[in-house]
Amino acid sequence: MTTRSIAMASLRQATLALALGLTASLGATLAQADTLRVGMSGGYYPFTYVERDELKGFEVDLMNAIGEITGDDVEFVTASFSGLAGMLDSNRIDTIANQITITPERRKKYLFSQPYVYDGAQVVVRKGNDAIHGVEDLKGKTVAVNLGSNYEQLLNELPYADDIDIKTYDSNIEQDVALGRADAFVMDRVSATQVIKDKPLPLQLAGQPFSRIENAYPFRDDEAGKAMKSRIDDALAKLRDNGKLSDISEKWFGSDITQP
Amino acid sequence: MHALDFDYMLGLVPILLGYLPLTLEMAAAGMACALILACLLAVIRVTRLPGLNAFALLFISFFRGTPLLVQLFLFYYGLPQVLTFLVAINGITATILGLTLHFSAYMAESIRAAIVGIDRSQTEAALSIGMTRAQLMRRIVLPQATRVATPTLMNYFIDMIKSTSLAFTLGVTELMGATQKEAAGSFLYFEAFLVVAVIYWIVVEALSWVQKWLEQRLNRAYQR
Repeated sequence: MTTRSIAMASLRQATLALALGLTASLGATLAQADTLRVGMSGGYYPFTYVERDELKGFEVDLMNAIGEITGDDVEFVTASFSGLAGMLDSNRIDTIANQITITPERRKKYLFSQPYVYDGAQVVVRKGNDAIHGVEDLKGKTVAVNLGSNYEQLLNELPYADDIDIKTYDSNIEQDVALGRADAFVMDRVSATQVIKDKPLPLQLAGQPFSRIENAYPFRDDEAGKAMKSRIDDALAKLRDNGKLSDISEKWFGSDITQP
Repeated sequence: MHALDFDYMLGLVPILLGYLPLTLEMAAAGMACALILACLLAVIRVTRLPGLNAFALLFISFFRGTPLLVQLFLFYYGLPQVLTFLVAINGITATILGLTLHFSAYMAESIRAAIVGIDRSQTEAALSIGMTRAQLMRRIVLPQATRVATPTLMNYFIDMIKSTSLAFTLGVTELMGATQKEAAGSFLYFEAFLVVAVIYWIVVEALSWVQKWLEQRLNRAYQR
């Protein structure tokens, strides 16, 4: 469908919804067997990002490779990161491909596929800032994290969490540290390294990664979610065996981040 | 400080312009629905229709009293958890719905003010020569009220165009969403947001010209 016809259809739908006093049309979207709706932020270089109107990145390549094996049509839905979980809960997408880290809290709520990226949490500071050498130096500092990310929680679990001024952002944490508004940001080591290597922002890694993280695809905990999880796990296992998973990682990172 | 990347900015213009139609369509659809709803609300308020008047007051109070972003999240993420069939509402529809409800609350009040502002003696004069209430509204009050309300309504339309930028939080890639994603890929924030600011500015400036033309037209009857 073109943008225009989507907008027109939506206009009709909106008028209808209004006319019926918000009762809207029936026919809630059931989990389709052959279309996999995959949510991502489109703003997490180099996992998912947009360049010249084209959605690219490690997550895009991997999900397309999975779709080729399962035979599903992969439909990417981009939304701001903090909105993705809500879209999954309200059945607007089937899973999230955005380096979602497995945590005990999330496990209670979602089914997770096998992990496909093994990484660490990394502190990043402005270039030339030699006062911070790692997570232990964050006491009394302002630290930026993404809203709804597990890094916020990681910081809160530190024994000196009360002495850290944690600022949550919807996007652009790299920029606020480059500008010096925040002393450091925390995200995964892999993309932090890549951003510093490829992009013009004055940033540097501070010390070693401080927590091991495993990233996977979350699914709703219901029958359809279970079916989808097992389909995707099978596909991931095949991609692991035939070396394609490693190839995709090498292409984006020059190293294999998919091995435990 | 780094030098502006002009090539990048030029390359971004056609890409971002591709998202302008969706932005304008959401605003236009929202404005059309909001105008209808606002007129209804205003008439209810002016005539103090029993029962409905209390509803209109509550409606205006709620949609003026809460931020648009809160309303959008409420409709899009919140309501489907309670009423599951509302999942059928997509991001674009939810945005149009949110814009409609939010702005109609504001617009109802300015339309009401415009109607109330027409001198009472005109109403009395019209009724004295045997016009019905409906004729009075259609022939005497509304044409004058339209002229009074137009500048404020145009202001709300301009505000509405800019408010469509909230749609990205509902997964709609419109003008602002497209810019954020491009900026997140290139990390050239200043360039990207400068380009999108200029695009919004030009659109609103063009609308200001339409507003000027419209006001002059509506003023013709008053020129000597």
